[in-house]
Amino acid sequence: MDDPTAPFEFLNLTFDWGTILSTLLAMAIVVIVSIVLTRNLAVKPGKRQNAIEYLLDFTNGIVGGQLPKKQARQFGLYAFTLFFFVVVSNEMGLLLQLQGTDGVTYIKSPTANPIVTMTLAIMSLMVAHGMGVQELGFKGYLKNMLFKPYAWMLPLNIIEQLANFLTLSLRLFGNIFAGEMLLTLVANSLAWPGQFNGFWSVLALPIEMVWQGFSLFIGGIQAYVFVILTGVFISQLSGNE
Amino acid sequence: MFGLTTLAAGKLPLGNMLFIIISFLVLMYILKLVAYGPLTKVLDERADKISNDIDGAETARQEAEELSAQRQSELANTRQEATKVVADAKISAQKQSDSLIAVASQRATSISQQAQTDAEKLKEDAIYNAKNDVASLSVAIASKLMQKELSLNDQQALIDAYISDLETK
Repeated sequence: MDDPTAPFEFLNLTFDWGTILSTLLAMAIVVIVSIVLTRNLAVKPGKRQNAIEYLLDFTNGIVGGQLPKKQARQFGLYAFTLFFFVVVSNEMGLLLQLQGTDGVTYIKSPTANPIVTMTLAIMSLMVAHGMGVQELGFKGYLKNMLFKPYAWMLPLNIIEQLANFLTLSLRLFGNIFAGEMLLTLVANSLAWPGQFNGFWSVLALPIEMVWQGFSLFIGGIQAYVFVILTGVFISQLSGNE
Repeated sequence: MFGLTTLAAGKLPLGNMLFIIISFLVLMYILKLVAYGPLTKVLDERADKISNDIDGAETARQEAEELSAQRQSELANTRQEATKVVADAKISAQKQSDSLIAVASQRATSISQQAQTDAEKLKEDAIYNAKNDVASLSVAIASKLMQKELSLNDQQALIDAYISDLETK
């Protein structure tokens, strides 16, 4: 389970080529798709504009259902970017995984890496806490977060905030990582364990197909859940439950 | 598994995290420029346009209703006026014909009166002339009879008395 990585040090910070390349590729796909889909915007939409408008309506719907209008408007861009990036990241590894000759997987789903999902979770929680402060003021924000509904619940509330971080990040990571793991497992152990595996190699194809389809579904669901939970945290921390 | 092993080893790959956050912010900025901003603008424009169109349709409908009511009332007015014009024409024609008839009957009356006067005058003239002729004739006859020159003037009174006697009979 301990795959080789290609880390390097820069300014005393540890980087890792696999994560960087995967993230960049996912982001490039997001940017290219949105550039292609937003050519020639018009009040009366064409086919391509309809597609991206549907996506925007979808994330705006998630946000608008949870937050008051002012916050929804603020949070709209973040939710749109987050959903688009996470969904592309989730599905990317199902279609494309590149392994170098040194055994390092350079391209896979960025969200199959806990560091990436934790970073995304930290970002989402920072947004949520920031909006809480903006909405309630710093004192009100602390009171709302730590002493509601009763002051003696302080320890529970602290645990809840930590749990929020862990559930948000590890749920996404777990789903995507497990999906890819099983795909790799089937491919490496069943279809091609060093040589042609007879009947099992043939059977591996439908198994892979079914699992890939299911993982596509899971990837979409998890992106949706990630954005929804971010909205829920914003809503909770802003005191409008 | 890079992430978990480094986490377990206490080496947090801060570089990766920073890279992800920064690149995510850049991605957010690009998407705002490319997709989110323009799309939101277009969506707002569309919402505005739809609500404007609905308002416009409402005003247009009201205008149409007003116009139709106006047309209706104008039509009624015109019909009334037409009726009045016809009635007026009838009345004035009636008046004209009445006055023509009156003038004509007046003329007829005056003509018949004139004729009557003329006839009476003629009759009087004739009687007068006849009277004179009778007087002179009777004088002439009498003078023939009496072989005596009778003065017409002397006998005038007598003759007049005869004649008036005749007239009264």
